[in-house]
Amino acid sequence: MNDAPIDHHDALWPRAVRQVRGRRLAPRLATLEGRTVAQLWDYLFRGDEAFAILEEALRARFPGVRFVGWREIGNTHGSDEREMIAALPARLKAMGVDAAISAMAA
Amino acid sequence: MLRASAVCEAVGIPTSSLVTEGFVRQAKATAVGLGLPHVGLAMIPGHPAVQDEATFRRHLLETTLPQVVANLTAALADGEADAEPGARDVVCSGGFEEINRVFVEREWSDGLPVVPPTRARVEAFLREVHRDPDEVLGTLLPDNRAATVWSVAVNGVMAGCRPETMPVLVALVEAMADPAYGVEHSGNTPGGETLIVLNGPIVKDLGFNFTQGVMRDGFQPNTTVGRFWRLALRNLAGFLPHKTDKATFGNTWRVVVAENEDALATIGWPPHCVDLGFAAGEDVVGIARYTGGGMASSMAGSTPEALLPYLADGLVRHTFWQITFSVGLGYGKLRPLVLMTPIIAETIARAGWSKDDVKRFLFEHARMPAWQFERLLRDWTRKPIWNLAEEARAGRIPAELYAASDDPQRLVPIVWAPEHIHLVVTGDPLRTSGYVFGQNGQLGFPVGRRIRRPAHRTPPAAAAAVKED
Repeated sequence: MNDAPIDHHDALWPRAVRQVRGRRLAPRLATLEGRTVAQLWDYLFRGDEAFAILEEALRARFPGVRFVGWREIGNTHGSDEREMIAALPARLKAMGVDAAISAMAA
Repeated sequence: MLRASAVCEAVGIPTSSLVTEGFVRQAKATAVGLGLPHVGLAMIPGHPAVQDEATFRRHLLETTLPQVVANLTAALADGEADAEPGARDVVCSGGFEEINRVFVEREWSDGLPVVPPTRARVEAFLREVHRDPDEVLGTLLPDNRAATVWSVAVNGVMAGCRPETMPVLVALVEAMADPAYGVEHSGNTPGGETLIVLNGPIVKDLGFNFTQGVMRDGFQPNTTVGRFWRLALRNLAGFLPHKTDKATFGNTWRVVVAENEDALATIGWPPHCVDLGFAAGEDVVGIARYTGGGMASSMAGSTPEALLPYLADGLVRHTFWQITFSVGLGYGKLRPLVLMTPIIAETIARAGWSKDDVKRFLFEHARMPAWQFERLLRDWTRKPIWNLAEEARAGRIPAELYAASDDPQRLVPIVWAPEHIHLVVTGDPLRTSGYVFGQNGQLGFPVGRRIRRPAHRTPPAAAAAVKED
């Protein structure tokens, strides 16, 4: 009789189940001309400077583009991040925003 | 910042997310968890923090700008995450070594050997909580995974926990899911690591170390429950190094720190769990993310006034960039932690000082010159928009604390109120030391959860404490 323990295990999947697999992206715009673009900033990594440079270049390419600046929006990564982000869609809609640039990092 | 982009996309506002080169992998992995694997990203080469203005500008105009325009105006493919196994699926069969090889390969393990999570082992854990195995304790970012009692048990087995610690593990994941804690930030740049503080009769009942070497591995419940925490971040929330976890250096997981409630009882100080909103005598887990810490070693003095300056000094030394959680990225959200040994607490209490008195002293003495605070806040974080006087004028910070004068040498506090400094009595009872932790503000804010033990494990004292509230 063999008394050696049987080294066999049926191991279960250790991850929790994903709740979201795929969502639809928003339809893209035909052009930025005449559109309003919001600047969303988490106050990291020189985003203020990046927005200034990008805004200048986008205005040159699309003279009719309008911007809602990051100062008006507020920090997207502050103490009130969850509440801020939850309220963001309604705020942007009220501001007539058509597109958004969100910075920085991830 | 992809969470902001995701809510915009959901209401029909197209987005482009600016991502520095080092964050592209994280952004792609995070986007999958948000259900938007093809969300528009516009990369900035290198890192802006070390680029001169000309280089930064050139990168933005040559690389980033075309991607921004394309993200907003060109069609992007919808997509979805790859299919995965079911919650109760057996994903690997074989010997111990084979199981561990596969678990490492599929990023389900922290690299140490795991106990193979078999159904029999998982069911032993489930018997220690009278809860539905499918009960969802919370949905956790970045992967948007629903952490269940079952999935907690699986990871508890893997970590080498004993089954009777299962109620602690469940309470930990409930705390992890608390929005105030902010689990979604667990992969951020500073790489702060969570410290679990345990209170209540369960400390002794399950044999947690609460004396000498309390932060050292080698005590099974402290060590394995600490390890469970990081496995849960990996498998239940989805934090994977080189992907969703972007800690610059990182820390390894910390073992559980249990408070010495015997020492507290002798001096009449309330336990840490009271600071988190629970009653003394309850079984409670507290969590918060700390960025690092250090010893105030071998303090000397027979009065509070002689002993506490060591800790006030330590609080300032371990709070530098973290000051941005008091003013800046957060407002009044910094919660540094002080550990002190029982003999230090007893010496202070002998002078008639309460725990609140200690916090008041630390609040009044853990201060730095305003110029230094502003240098940390503004100059060293490249934020042109912040200084104390302007923040006070805007009503965002208490003027009496931060803008009482315009003297740059005036001393300003690192936190807004005495109760923002947390205090735990633990460690070697007869050594005269303290330990100070810098904290990660709202990106790992202190929260607690009551531990619900099954009737056959609940001692009379703990049962009474729960019944009273």
